[in-house]
Amino acid sequence: MKKYWKSLTELKNGENSVPDQPMPKGNLEQILDIFDKNENDSKSNRRDFLKLCGFSLAISTVVASCENSVQKAIPYLIKPEEITPGKANYYASSFAKGSDYCSVLIKTREGRPIKIEGNDLSSVTNGGTSSRVQASVLDLYDTSRYKHAKKGNQKLSWEELDKTIKEELTRLKNANEPVVLLTSSIYSPSTERIIQKFIVQYPNVKWVQYDSQSATALIEANQMCFGKAGIADYRFDYADKIVSFDADFLGTWLMPVEHIRQYTKKRKLSDGNTSMSHHTQVESRLSLTGSNADKRIPVKPSEQKFLIAQLYNEILKLAGKETYSLPASNTDIQEIAKDLWAHKGKSLVISGSNDAYVQVVVNAINFELENYGSTLRVDKQLHTSKAIASEMDQVLADMKSGKLKGIISYGVNPVFDYPKGKEFADAVKKVAFSVAMDEVPNETTALMSFVAPDNHFLESWNDFEPKTNRYSLMQPGIRPLFDTRQFQSSLLSWMGEDVNYLTFIKNHWEKNMYPMQTAYPNFTTFWKHTLQQGVFEPSIKSVFDTRFNFAGISNVVNQFSKPNDSKGVELQLYESIAIGDGRMANNPWLQEMPDPVTKICWDNYLCVSPKQAEEMMLETGDVVDLNSKLKLPVYILPGQAYNTVSIAKGYGRQLCGVVGKNVGVNVNALLASNDDFLGDVKLSKTGEKYDLAMTQTHHSMEGRAIVREAGLEEYKKNPSAGNESHHAYENANIYEKPKFPNHHWGLVVDLNSCVGCGACSIACQSENNVPVVGKKEVIRAHEMSWIRIDRYFSGDEINPDVSFQPVMCQHCDNAPCENVCPVAATNHSSEGLNQMAYNRCIGTRYCGNNCPYKVRRFNWFDYTKADSIPNNLHDVAEMTIDLKRMVLNPDVTVRAKGVIEKCSLCVQRIQEGKLNAKIEGRKVKDGEIKTACEQACPSGAIIFGDLNDKESKLVKETSSKRNYHLLEEIHTLPSVSYLTKIRNKKMNHS
Amino acid sequence: MSKPYRLTCALFIFILLLAPFQILAIEADSTAKDDHSGHFDYFLNSKKRGERLFKGLTRTPVEWQSCVSCHNIDYIDTLNWNPSAQDIAGTFANKSIAEFRSVLMSPLGKKMEESHQNYAFSDEELGYIKTYLQELNSSVLYETKPKVNNLIVFFFLGALITLALVDLVFTKKIKYKIIPVLIFVFAFGYQIQMLAEGAMALGRKQNYAPIQPIKFSHKIHATDNKIDCRYCHTTVDDSKSAGIPHVNLCLNCHVIVREGTNSGKFEINKIHASIDNNTPVEWIRIHKLPDHVFFSHAQHANVGKRDCQECHGLVEEMHVVKQVEDLSMGWCLDCHDKTAVDFRENGYYSESFKKLHEKLTSGAIDSVRVTDVGGRECARCHY
Repeated sequence: MKKYWKSLTELKNGENSVPDQPMPKGNLEQILDIFDKNENDSKSNRRDFLKLCGFSLAISTVVASCENSVQKAIPYLIKPEEITPGKANYYASSFAKGSDYCSVLIKTREGRPIKIEGNDLSSVTNGGTSSRVQASVLDLYDTSRYKHAKKGNQKLSWEELDKTIKEELTRLKNANEPVVLLTSSIYSPSTERIIQKFIVQYPNVKWVQYDSQSATALIEANQMCFGKAGIADYRFDYADKIVSFDADFLGTWLMPVEHIRQYTKKRKLSDGNTSMSHHTQVESRLSLTGSNADKRIPVKPSEQKFLIAQLYNEILKLAGKETYSLPASNTDIQEIAKDLWAHKGKSLVISGSNDAYVQVVVNAINFELENYGSTLRVDKQLHTSKAIASEMDQVLADMKSGKLKGIISYGVNPVFDYPKGKEFADAVKKVAFSVAMDEVPNETTALMSFVAPDNHFLESWNDFEPKTNRYSLMQPGIRPLFDTRQFQSSLLSWMGEDVNYLTFIKNHWEKNMYPMQTAYPNFTTFWKHTLQQGVFEPSIKSVFDTRFNFAGISNVVNQFSKPNDSKGVELQLYESIAIGDGRMANNPWLQEMPDPVTKICWDNYLCVSPKQAEEMMLETGDVVDLNSKLKLPVYILPGQAYNTVSIAKGYGRQLCGVVGKNVGVNVNALLASNDDFLGDVKLSKTGEKYDLAMTQTHHSMEGRAIVREAGLEEYKKNPSAGNESHHAYENANIYEKPKFPNHHWGLVVDLNSCVGCGACSIACQSENNVPVVGKKEVIRAHEMSWIRIDRYFSGDEINPDVSFQPVMCQHCDNAPCENVCPVAATNHSSEGLNQMAYNRCIGTRYCGNNCPYKVRRFNWFDYTKADSIPNNLHDVAEMTIDLKRMVLNPDVTVRAKGVIEKCSLCVQRIQEGKLNAKIEGRKVKDGEIKTACEQACPSGAIIFGDLNDKESKLVKETSSKRNYHLLEEIHTLPSVSYLTKIRNKKMNHS
Repeated sequence: MSKPYRLTCALFIFILLLAPFQILAIEADSTAKDDHSGHFDYFLNSKKRGERLFKGLTRTPVEWQSCVSCHNIDYIDTLNWNPSAQDIAGTFANKSIAEFRSVLMSPLGKKMEESHQNYAFSDEELGYIKTYLQELNSSVLYETKPKVNNLIVFFFLGALITLALVDLVFTKKIKYKIIPVLIFVFAFGYQIQMLAEGAMALGRKQNYAPIQPIKFSHKIHATDNKIDCRYCHTTVDDSKSAGIPHVNLCLNCHVIVREGTNSGKFEINKIHASIDNNTPVEWIRIHKLPDHVFFSHAQHANVGKRDCQECHGLVEEMHVVKQVEDLSMGWCLDCHDKTAVDFRENGYYSESFKKLHEKLTSGAIDSVRVTDVGGRECARCHY
C-alpha cells in the first residue's frame, strides 16, 4: 500500500513520532483559562475555586426558583398567502458579489432567509454552490452593516441625502467637473442600462469598473487575437486533456462552481464509462486545482512564460508549421505537447497569468489545437469580470492630480485590495464629493463623505447575464432589515426618475429578453415563470468564425524565448478558497473554514517549500520577516516549488465587523496589479513563534487504508484496483445485527469527484446550526464541524499526491459509540441512523472517545446561546446576539453546553421527506431527500439514499467495485461508504 | 474540621440565612408602596376619588351598580365576561373624556345598556375615574402563586436538619441518637421529594389556563356555533404548526357579528382595533413543547388521523382554554405504544413495510402500532 503522511514531522520522524506539543491541560484548567486574562501563569487557585462555587450556587438558585415565563404566540395580522407557519418557502434568486456569481434558491422560514441552496435549473452553475455562496446568508444578519444613510458620521435621512447629492451632481455637471463612478464588474443588464442613463443625464460622470482579481489579460488577449474583447467560455467537460499554467480554476479562477461541475463530469467513472480527462497543472504553489491534477509540475512563476512559449513551439512542430528557435524543451513539455496534439480539438490550455501577451500565446496554442468552438468559445463569453486594470490606475492619477472632483463607489474596496491602496486612500480624502454605496463599512467607504448604503443581495431585485444569453434574476427573500436602499434605486432617484427598480427591470426585460423566446404568449406569464425558475436561457445559435490574426505573435514568442535564470525567491499572492478577496472577511463561517490544502483557518501565512524550510531551519509556525516589511508565520507546504513562497490575499482587514478585523496580514500592497509575482524576496527568520489554527493534525488515521486509490490503467484492467482488501466477519457482533424493515439510509462519497472545495462543510454548518468556536478553540482541537474534509499527502514531499476525503458520521450499524453511552443518549434507529438525543446526553464524552472516525464533537461552551446561563457563553463572532441567531434553522436543536453532537444525516430533511410521502400516501422517491452537503456539492460527489431501495442511485453506486467502507477491519459496518479515487496516471505503489 | 467541610457548612448556612431575608424583603417592598401620606390631600387627589367612584364607595344613587361589581380589578380565577378594569384602562388610555362619556353613558351594546342605564356621572367624575384607570393601565393581572409556602417549608426542614446534625455531632443534648437521625432522614427525604416533584414539574404546564388578551371562547365558537376546528387552525394538516388564526380570518365573521352574547361589544372590538392599529393580538401561549422536541401537527392530525381532543382535551367545551395533558414524554410514548397506524389506507406504510404488511394481511397480527414502525426512536422527535 501507498504510504500516506499527514504532516512533514511525521514523514521525517516516522509514524510513531509525537509532534512537540505542550502537555495537555486538564478540564478544569482549560475552563479556568477562559476566565483568566493573562494565560501565561494561569493557575487555578483557591479564589478561583470559590468564585466558581459561588457562581454555580447562584446560578442553581436562580434556575431552581425561576418560574415558567409567560410566552406569547403572535399570529399574523393578515397572513401572506404563500406563508405557512412551520414550512419553508424557496425563492429562486442569484448570488452575486463582485465577480462571484451563483444561481441559488433562498430557503425562508416565516419570511426569514435561513439557507442558500443551488438552483438545478441554471445551466451555468447547475445547482452547485461554493462555500462563499453558502455562507452569504449569514452576511444578511451581519451586525456591522450600515443601518441608515450617513454624512460623515452623522445619520442622514434618504430625502436629505438625495437632495444634497442631486445638488452636488448638478453643480458638478454644470461646472463640467469630472466625476467617477467606480464599481465592481457589472454584469446585470438592467444595472448597466441605468448606469448608461445616469451618464446621459450627468455626462461628466465616467464609469470605471474595478476588480481586485482582474481578468484584464484574458480580455485584452481575446481582443488582440480575435477582435472580440472578453473572457472566453471554457468547457472543461468537453476537454480530454487539460493543461493549466497557474490557473486555479477549481478554486478561485473565473467561475469555480461551473468549472468544478464541468471538470468532474468528465472524470466520473462507472462500469459503463472508464474514460476520464487528464489534467496537468504547472504551478508554484500547491493550489486546490494542483492538488486535484493528475500530473503537477512545480515551477517558479518566472518560468511560466518560457514554458508556455516552448509548448507553443512544440505544438507548431507537431503541426508541421514553422517553428521558432527556442532552447530545447524538457521532456515534460514535449510529453504535454504530444498529449495535447493527440487530443486535438478536445483539449484545453489555460493560464492564470495577468500578462496579456502570455494569454495571447495561450490563445495561439488553443487555436493550433483547434479547440475553439469545442472546449472554449470566444463568441460566448463570461461576463463576471469586465474590469480593465489600467482604467483604475488612471482614476488614481486623476485623483492625485486633483482633476477628479467627485467619486461614487459601489461594491469595491480599493483602499484594501488595490496594490496602491495607501495612495488611493490619501487621494480619495482630497476629493470633495465622495459617495460610498456598499452594504458594509470597509476601508474605502470610511473615507467617503456620504454613505448611501446598499441592500444585501437577499433584500434586492436584480438581473444578471453571467454568460452570453444566460440570464438570471435576483429576487429578495426578505424586506430590508435596515434603512438601506439598493444601489440601482439610488441612481434612479438621483436621476430624478420616479420608478422603482423592479419596474425598471420588468420594463427592460419586456423590451429586451421577452422577444428572445416564443414559449410564452404574454409578458406577465413569461415574467412570472422566469422569476419562479430564477433563470432564463434562450437558445440562440450564433456563428462566429474564430480566426487568429495577431501579427505580433512572433515578437511575443521571441520575447519569451529566454529561460529565466533568476536565482532569488519569488513571491506569489493568491486568493484563498474561503476568504477570497476579503470582502466576506467578516463572515465567521468562512473564517473558520480550513483551507482545503493547508487546513489552516483564521489566518494567512507564508507557504514555504520543504527544501527551503530545511535550508532556513524553519518550522511551521516560525515567524519570518519578508523584505523587512511584513512579519508572517510560516507554513511548510509540500509541493510548493523551491525558491518560491506564497501568501493569501483578503486577510488583514482593518475596518470591518469584529470577526474579520485584524485577522492575518494585508499583503495586497506587495504586488503591482498586473504582475504575477514578486522577484528577489528577502526572507529572514525572526525567532518568534506563532500559533496557527490547524484542523488536520488532530485527525490522523495512521497507516490504514483510508483513502483508496488506483491509476486509470489499473482500474481499466480491474475495476476493484486499489480496493482489494475487504474485511467481512461472520457473527462478530456481541449484539444482534439490527434489522431495517423500512428504510436504511446511507451515503456514498465519490472520492474521484470530490475536489475538496469545502462547500459541503459550510452548507452543513448553515443547515445544522453548527457553532463557531474561534481560533483559540480550534487550536485546542475544539472545532465543531460535522463534516470535515481530510487531506492526505502521499509520495514525495517535493511534489506530493493529494487526496481529499470528506468525513462525517459513518452511521455504523455496529457503532462503537452507542454501546459506551451510559445513558443511551446515542443509539441506533430502525432506519440505520445513529441517533443523538442532545437532551439526554450528560457529556461523558465516552462516545467521542470510542468513535474510530473522530466525528463526534463536544460543546465545551455554550456557543450559540442555547441556555440562559450567561457565563457559559463563549462567543467570538457575535453568534449569540439576536440578529445573528435569525440564521438558525428552527428545525434543528441549538445545542447547549456539555453535550456531544455529530452529523445526523440531516434527519430533519429525512423526516420532512417522509412526512411529505405519508401525506401523499406513497413511498419516498429516490432523490427526493437530499442532505445539505449533497445539495451544496458542485461536483455531485455525495449521494444520499435508501440502501434498502434496490433501484436507488445510491445502491447503484455502492454496488460498484470501487465501493469501500472506512476502517472495514474494525467491523463497524458503516452506512456511509466511499468510492476509490482514480488518478489518470501510473501509480507508484511504494 | 477540615477545610472543605467547613466550606460546605458555611455555604449551607449562608443559603439558609439568605433565603428568608429575600422573602422578607419582597414583603417589605410591597408594604412600602402603599404609603398613607395620600390621605391628607384626599380632596386634591383625583386618583383616589376615581378609585372611590369606581369601587362605589362615594354616595351614588342606589340603582347605580358600582363599576367594580362587573369590572374586576384583581385577578380572579373564574371567567368574567365583562372587561376587567385594566382592560378598559388599556382601551381608553389615549381617548378623550368625551369619548369615554359617550361609551359609558350612552352605550350601544345590549348588555352594557342594561347595566349602565341611568348613569349620570359628571365630566369631572369621569375624569377622576379615568385618572384612576390610567394608574391601572400599566399593571397586568397575573395569578399570584402561593409558592412561598413551599419555600418556607423547605427552609424550615433545612434548619431542622442542621439542628439535628449539630446535635448529633457536637452538642449531643438528645439522649437517644435515633431521634436526630430520624429527624434527619425524614426531613431530608421530604426535601428530596419536594425537589424531585418541583424539578419534574419544571417546564410543564398542566392545567395552565392564563387570561388571554381577548376573551375568546372555544365553547361559543366550536360548540354553540358549530365552527370546525380547521376553519381557524388552517395549517394543521400540512405544517408542523396548527396555526393560530390571523386576525383577518376572524373578520370573515366578525365583520358582521359585532356583538357577542356574553361579552357584548368590548371583546369583539379588540379585533377591529387590532386591524385598525396594525397591531397583532399577542395571545398567551399555552401548549408548548421544549425546543428540543420536534412535533408535527401534519403527522398526527393528517397522517395519523388523530382528533384534536386526544391531546388538547375538550377544547370545544372550554370558555378559557386550559392545558389538559401534561405533554410529558411519558405521555407521548404511552400514546405511541397504544395507537394503531393507519396501515392499510396509507400507501407509505403498506408499500414501505412489506413484512409487516404481509403479516397484517395474513392475519398474524391484528394491527400495527406506532411503536412497531419506530415510534419510540429518539430521532423521530429529537434532532
